[in-house]
Amino acid sequence: MNARTFLVSLAWLAVLPAAHAAAPVQEIQATLAKPAVMCGRFDQTKQLTGIKKPLQAQGRFCVLKGRGILWQTLQPFPSTLRITREAIVQIQDGRVAMKLDAQQEPVVKMINSVLFSLLAGDLSQLDTLFELDGSLREGHWQVALKARQPALAKAIGDISLAGASYVEKVDMKEASGDRTEIRFSAIKTGEGAMTADEGALFD
Amino acid sequence: MTKPARRQPRLLALAWLLAVLLVAGHNAWLWLGQRASPDTDILALLPGTGGRDAVRQQAFSHMVDAAQQKLVVLVGDRDWSRAQAGAQAYLTVLRAHSGLIAPISGDNAQWQNQWLDSLAGSRSLLLSEAQRAQLASGTPQAWSQRALSGLYGAFGGPRLGAWQDDPFGLFSDWVQERARETPVRPRDGQLFVERDGVNYALLLLELKAPAFSMQAQEQIVPLLAQARQAARSQASEVITGGVILHAAAASAQAGSESATIGAGSLLGILLLMWLSFRSLKPILYIALSIAVGCLGALSVSMLLFGKIHLLTLVFGASLIGIAQDYGIYFLCARLAAPATQDSTTLLRRLLPGLALMLLAALIGYLGMALTPFPGLQQMAVFSALGLVFAWLTVACWFPRLIGPHSLRASAQAQRFGRSIARWPDLLGGAAWHLVLPAAVALIGLAIAGITRLHSSDDLRALQNSPPALLQDQIRISQLLDMAAPVQFYLVRGASPEAVLRQEEALREKLQPLVQGKLISGVQAVSNWVPSQQRQQDNLTLLRRALLEPQAATPDAVTLAAQAIDESPQWAQALRQRMLDKAQPLTPAEFLATPAGTASRHLWLGQVEGQYASIVALRGLTDYRQLDRLAAVADGLPGVQWVDKVGDISSVLRQYRITMGWALLCAYAAIFALLALRYRRRAWRALAPPLLASLLTLGLFGWLGLPLQLFHVLAGLLVLGLGVDYGIFLLEASGHQRPHAWLTVGLSAASALLSFGLLALSHSPPLHAFGLTMLCGMLLVWLLAPLFTHPGRDPLLVQRAQPDKESA
Repeated sequence: MNARTFLVSLAWLAVLPAAHAAAPVQEIQATLAKPAVMCGRFDQTKQLTGIKKPLQAQGRFCVLKGRGILWQTLQPFPSTLRITREAIVQIQDGRVAMKLDAQQEPVVKMINSVLFSLLAGDLSQLDTLFELDGSLREGHWQVALKARQPALAKAIGDISLAGASYVEKVDMKEASGDRTEIRFSAIKTGEGAMTADEGALFD
Repeated sequence: MTKPARRQPRLLALAWLLAVLLVAGHNAWLWLGQRASPDTDILALLPGTGGRDAVRQQAFSHMVDAAQQKLVVLVGDRDWSRAQAGAQAYLTVLRAHSGLIAPISGDNAQWQNQWLDSLAGSRSLLLSEAQRAQLASGTPQAWSQRALSGLYGAFGGPRLGAWQDDPFGLFSDWVQERARETPVRPRDGQLFVERDGVNYALLLLELKAPAFSMQAQEQIVPLLAQARQAARSQASEVITGGVILHAAAASAQAGSESATIGAGSLLGILLLMWLSFRSLKPILYIALSIAVGCLGALSVSMLLFGKIHLLTLVFGASLIGIAQDYGIYFLCARLAAPATQDSTTLLRRLLPGLALMLLAALIGYLGMALTPFPGLQQMAVFSALGLVFAWLTVACWFPRLIGPHSLRASAQAQRFGRSIARWPDLLGGAAWHLVLPAAVALIGLAIAGITRLHSSDDLRALQNSPPALLQDQIRISQLLDMAAPVQFYLVRGASPEAVLRQEEALREKLQPLVQGKLISGVQAVSNWVPSQQRQQDNLTLLRRALLEPQAATPDAVTLAAQAIDESPQWAQALRQRMLDKAQPLTPAEFLATPAGTASRHLWLGQVEGQYASIVALRGLTDYRQLDRLAAVADGLPGVQWVDKVGDISSVLRQYRITMGWALLCAYAAIFALLALRYRRRAWRALAPPLLASLLTLGLFGWLGLPLQLFHVLAGLLVLGLGVDYGIFLLEASGHQRPHAWLTVGLSAASALLSFGLLALSHSPPLHAFGLTMLCGMLLVWLLAPLFTHPGRDPLLVQRAQPDKESA
């Protein structure tokens, strides 16, 4: 099972638009910076049923407003995922291991927008898919996302986001007991946030 | 006259009454009692056994029925939420009429889950072509890497089942490839398609009433217009497609046309008769002869053929044009005859001419009957029977119905009749040095025009749905990447397994055409359910590539287990888990699942002891290259290329060519027949229709109109009527000429009114037929007196002496 499958099913199972975000959500939205370019380090821990040891991975990520997302796993082995409006591409050992074209797979554009909203903390966009329950204290916030549609809830479980100016933590809990925790650190924005190599991957 | 001779006509009339009553009773029993309906299968018109193929027939009805009751609506806007709102507005209008039309139900989200569940038990047996290639070449290291990247991937987790169920992502890849067979995706609880930045909500509607029912059309079409209006208030674009829209447009057109053209021609004929006879009785007599002709033709044809084809009825209708001549001839002759001559005697005098007219027409149809085409044979027999019945009605009844004082020609009719005297004598006249060059120039021009003629048998040229409807239809096929409904492969085999294997062989042969972009892919049950052979192959391939060690390298599962510090037992459990998901899948099981719904129309199942399926083509746009697709079926036993449009076009083409030859033979045969009676003057009767047909064809050539079957059919009618006029005029002695001319005038005018007016029709076949009749009959009418002028022709002058028959 891989990212694209999750993303495809996420978009496939998308739900009806609903009411506007609750008041705290709007306040949280206001505390978030919305940089054009944002890069940083991620540390991911997965706890899967049936597998004894937690699976740990770390790497770098970049979120480019209006362009897409770069997700570079460095440990335990290098692998790059680039998500744009046009395609989702996975690069491994310098080769394209997988490519999902928006021309062939129309949900690519939707995946891009959902994932961008998740990482950039654009809660107003997530509001169409999830019920948001947020709290805000001294500049730190936390939001629980519950899928509006039962089928989607069953597929992806509960998601919670936490952070201040940026999203700092994503927590995903599934009905099967699987847990994924991603922490973001060393976040840089603006010019120079992205390395030349990373920039090259976007061109 | 002796007494028995007097009784004889009455007996004849009574006998004929009995026959007509029998025929009428038989018709009533057929159409009302038996509810017989005409045959509409166009392939039944093809010669040989290829015309009748139950499997092929069922394949068509399968494809057509699947589409007929459905309507596709796309509501589009750049802003998806507006498109959604538009779709909701559309549905809101329809909601109150759910008895007529309703959305095809189905909870998308629920459905998605179920359809994955139904296939998951066989997931280790389902591999795409690309995956087979990957498995054949990939190393255990590469595969274990792939499993790990899925495991460590940013957002991994049990989505289409647990990671352990699909550690190498094979099943999700396969599902992805299946999903790619359609660009339609669920989005926000709705079906969605995107193209060039416009988001479309897709609505699938189902008609609850038959698409071809006029009543349903009258209710549904305005409703759809209203719904469209509502949707347009929200979204920028609404595209609608469905058989019912075309059917409704055709009925509306036919309705308004038959109202105007039909009323026009009826009024015209009534007026014509009234002006000629100051009475409507003559038209009743003529209608009576035609009605008996039609009933008789129907009755005997049904007895002979068992069923009758719709096209026979359509083309058979043209016999009315010829059948009217017998009645008109008798009526006009009655006017000309002195009151002292009773009608029976008159008929006896007319019989040679009447018999010649009937024989000439029968010879014309004989040519058609001798062709190897069942349809043409049926049409010929039908038409010939109709003429015989109409003729007998005139011969048996008219003398008893119409006495010497029944009719009086009006002043206008008499004036028209006398007008023939003013017709110039071009052939015998002194002006031949002017006539000859003019005639040569005219014929030269006609022949030059004929050389410019091209023919068209394309069925699509006969279709004339409103352009807006066609555009919508094309746009929908493009947006939804729909399969071509009338071009496909038919695959047969002794068992479902044999069919699936043949499908696999066919798909392999089609690969180069997919790569060459002639088609974008195929829809086939074997895409979803590989043959049992292929399923076992897949499992072997998967086992070798992923579950078994290769030389010094452990298997991919073991490698992955080692990388995440799991035990050999854990690896063994994972391997077993994959092997457990290998329940053989059969077409019957698959088609019963939600995932199989969309493929059901492709599987014909058991037909006449065989199994059959359809392999449909997606993304076919270049119809000039159908030959390449047809060629793929060669050498694949059990695989047949089917192109309904091509089939029908080829029927039309063969019929056009064969009827063209039949028409030429008819000219020759009729010439021989006429020569028996008119000797050297026989050509005078045939020249007008021949010349008129040539000039009409030449005109079409210059106008750039393509030659079609319907032109040839009209040509046959021009010949039939034209010969009659020649006979009228050649039979007439000098003082009878005005009445013969009145006969020609009445017949030609009513032919022009009943058939020529069809030139105004928007239906291409009717228009082609009508236009040929319009030009051809006008020319015949004008030319006939020129060629039969008594002038200086000694033979004609001799004939012009009253009652001096030339032996």
